[in-house]
Amino acid sequence: MTRRAAPRAVLLAAGELLAWWVVLALLWLVLISTVDTLERIVGASCAAVGAVLARAGRRAVTWR
Amino acid sequence: MSDALTVVVLLLVAGSATATVAQRDPARQALVLSFLGVLLAALFTVFQAPDVGLSQLAVGSVLTPLLIMLSVRKVRRRARSEEGTE
Amino acid sequence: MAVNGWILAATIELGGGGAAALWGVATGPPARRVIAQNMTTSAVCPALLLLAQGYGRPSYVDLALLLALLGPVGTLVFARLLGDDLAGQQPSAWALTWTAAGLGAAVVLALCVAGSPGRATVKLLVIGALLISGNLVASRALAGGFRGVRGG
Repeated sequence: MTRRAAPRAVLLAAGELLAWWVVLALLWLVLISTVDTLERIVGASCAAVGAVLARAGRRAVTWR
Repeated sequence: MSDALTVVVLLLVAGSATATVAQRDPARQALVLSFLGVLLAALFTVFQAPDVGLSQLAVGSVLTPLLIMLSVRKVRRRARSEEGTE
Repeated sequence: MAVNGWILAATIELGGGGAAALWGVATGPPARRVIAQNMTTSAVCPALLLLAQGYGRPSYVDLALLLALLGPVGTLVFARLLGDDLAGQQPSAWALTWTAAGLGAAVVLALCVAGSPGRATVKLLVIGALLISGNLVASRALAGGFRGVRGG
């Protein structure tokens, strides 16, 4: 039961990661010069890594 | 038209380089130096060398001022702590 | 090269903004110098965009993108490490900041109208947003607006 104790938190984290991923992938698609399959694959992977890093960075900063 | 642009950028680079050398305080020198770095990138663009301009932009606008300011801060701190102990 | 309005605009923009920023960064108290250093980005970045359009090389836009990204970072370096010299004075010039932001927005909009709509337009808008938001963030940091933010 402890595993399913906070489905809301898991959902929020997944949603934030997904939002970061969408933003970063769109940014990648805008900034490259030619759009092809290889660029899409590389962009999606880099956006996934970037989304994890962005969430870690946001959680590391506290606003007092 | 291109000549006027070249003359303007070259004059600005020469002026800011002279101003950098003329400053006495290293911290203020770093400020003028970062301005010179950005301007050099514009000069390289005018001379149709944007690849050189990109690296100049990265080095001149952030890295060089950061290194200079870190060194200045360390030197000042050491001078202050030596003043405190003596 | 034929007479080119974009290059003429870039010349005027770079000459005027560059000379003003050089005068501000080389003279006066430290507070004025950091403000002028911050304004350098807002003066040179639109000129680079105009040059890319004037030369007809869309890839030159990358320089403006990098400058819009790194210029505020350089100003933040000074805002953080020049704290001793800036103590007591709050370097802020909001009229100048908003003028520079308006200049960047005007140049970006003019280039968007001149070019055909597409991914290049979105890229220009991204650069404009980066330029203006970076300018505002750096100005606020210089004015002491981020003293409360700490890594935790």
